[in-house]
Amino acid sequence: MRVKLLHYTDVNAVRDVLQSEGASFDSKTLLDHVAYMFEIEDCSRVTTHQLVRHRVASYDQESQRFSSASREGFVSPPTVASNQAAMKVYDDALKVVYEAFERMTALGVPKEDARYVLPNAIKTKLVMTVYARSLMHIVWQRTALQAQWEIREVVTEMFRLAKEATPELWTAILEG
Amino acid sequence: MKASLVWSVPKPEKVIAVAMRRCYSTKPIEEIEAELEQKGPEYWKYLMTRALQDKSLDVIEHFVFSIVIDGMWEDEAGRLALAFPYVRLLHIREGRWLISMNARTLIEIWRGKAFVGFAEAIVEEFDRKGVCPIFNSLVFGERARAS
Repeated sequence: MRVKLLHYTDVNAVRDVLQSEGASFDSKTLLDHVAYMFEIEDCSRVTTHQLVRHRVASYDQESQRFSSASREGFVSPPTVASNQAAMKVYDDALKVVYEAFERMTALGVPKEDARYVLPNAIKTKLVMTVYARSLMHIVWQRTALQAQWEIREVVTEMFRLAKEATPELWTAILEG
Repeated sequence: MKASLVWSVPKPEKVIAVAMRRCYSTKPIEEIEAELEQKGPEYWKYLMTRALQDKSLDVIEHFVFSIVIDGMWEDEAGRLALAFPYVRLLHIREGRWLISMNARTLIEIWRGKAFVGFAEAIVEEFDRKGVCPIFNSLVFGERARAS
């Protein structure tokens, strides 16, 4: 899994405008005016199903209608990967599924229909634009201990990148 | 009503093209961005034309920007916020607002007619500042320039 921050609002430009206008504002109000565009690669569709439930954001995800599946393109959860017997079961199942996908496409079934057999473990890629207020809500929900390991890793990385890019916003919010 | 640009995502046409290519490519984002840079604005225009023809406006949501708008009174701002909840408004002082939004919402406001003066003010500012000229000409045509 990899998260990359592609673009983000210039917080100082927004703050400078407000200060030059003599506007009184709380740092928290800037949460509605600072946007981040992330790219997330090679997490599972399990995790992106969870992510897109946070609807106040914009998403564009790799389509399975046209892209191929490969045996390497699946995520293995740590509880499976660390259990040799379970990993064999998992691996065998993925092999059957992948071969079924390949055989169907070879028989002329379009990828968009053959993909019905593919599992949630398949890796995916997406771009996501989100405002800081929504990101804060996602962080609050998805970095909690009850959240699943993979989305916790994705969102933790998103937040790390956001804080690194715009420390002037998050320092004020987290210390306030 | 007058708009002043505070910030826009850089090269919005390319950002929209990146979002489109992300849907149909398995390549890492760096390769997609490098290919788009090499192909240049004519190709970005082609992709944006496709998105608009297909009404796939989701990719245009990644074109985000902030402006200061002058000459919008509280009743109009309130109606705008109710009609378009993805428009983020911060009151600066009488008639002046900091507004952050995306270009899909701008298109919907433009088409909705009720706040067309607001949309025109933004497009005029984009024209003045040279923000996303391809988008402006494809979506808004000559109307904004003539107003």
